[in-house]
Amino acid sequence: MEENAYLASILASIFFLIASMRLIRLHRRTRERPELLLGLYFAFSGIYYLGYNTPSLLQFDAWPAPINLAIEWAYILGVFPYLLFIRSVFRPAATWAGCFVAVCSVCLLVGTLLLTQDGTVDYALTNPWFVVQWFGYTAPCFWLGWEAMLYRQNATKRARIGLCPPIVANRYLLIALFGCFQVFACLADLSFANEVGSSETVSLLTDALLGGAEIASVAVLWLAFFPPVRYTNWITRRAVILPTPMDG
Amino acid sequence: MATTLFDIAAERLEERCDMDRLAARGTLRLAVKEAGLDVQNLTILQLRAVFEKLMPNELEARGVTDAAATCQAVMNDIASAASTADLTTSSSPDEIFKRLGGS
Repeated sequence: MEENAYLASILASIFFLIASMRLIRLHRRTRERPELLLGLYFAFSGIYYLGYNTPSLLQFDAWPAPINLAIEWAYILGVFPYLLFIRSVFRPAATWAGCFVAVCSVCLLVGTLLLTQDGTVDYALTNPWFVVQWFGYTAPCFWLGWEAMLYRQNATKRARIGLCPPIVANRYLLIALFGCFQVFACLADLSFANEVGSSETVSLLTDALLGGAEIASVAVLWLAFFPPVRYTNWITRRAVILPTPMDG
Repeated sequence: MATTLFDIAAERLEERCDMDRLAARGTLRLAVKEAGLDVQNLTILQLRAVFEKLMPNELEARGVTDAAATCQAVMNDIASAASTADLTTSSSPDEIFKRLGGS
């Protein structure tokens, strides 16, 4: 693993697992699908990050190949509920969204199957199946960031006339930022694959980008899922709510 | 063609103000957009907020006298024409994001 980024990834994995437990518990109470889908995504991502970074943390060389494969598949399996979450929340009736989910799913399945066909995970930019798989997990992050930002714009307008709580409008922004930071992490994956494929060492820039993206992701998710009272009050105080002309 | 809440509201607005159909629909559409809402999926609660907070200024800007009273009258018309059951549902993104943060 990278020089220092594994510490940030371990932090992210612990946070993802805590967030997933909270979301799945919420699902058991509400019986609604979105919290279950997002909870599953965080659970699989948490397992992946924890498994992937354990050798660096415990200072051993690497997992045996079958465990490496299982860890890789854990992440990929988590992206499916992630895609379904984005679709069901933001574009439940759009045909194109269904097609996009299908394209990403095919990329994930085909890319991962062919990337791991010899029993190991071959991260290298020169391996076309790595790029196919990369598209399959990067596109949903970009999609989430884009949709949440669009919804944030309208939610801010709704908040002005009292139709959306300011903290919910802010939560769209936080989730959009999470999507953006995950895209940065995915871009760092490309750099990582390029460097590992050519020299088996990782540059400081890639290391910083990966670690920074994970820490920033955890920070915005913490504010989104576990907002401190002071933060909620601050957002609510800053919100501009229009008076009703008829009252005056 | 299905009649939406927007259609009903625009029709009432046209009757209450001295506006033609295009002007009434255009004015309301601008206000709905300004409110960050979707014309096709308006709820009565959302429309009420639009008529309370945004439409009076929009109508005044177009020379309608006593815009606030006109908005109130249109809202009363709509309330009798539409069901109040179409409030925000548990599957709307706002509701989902509200639940996710535990608020």
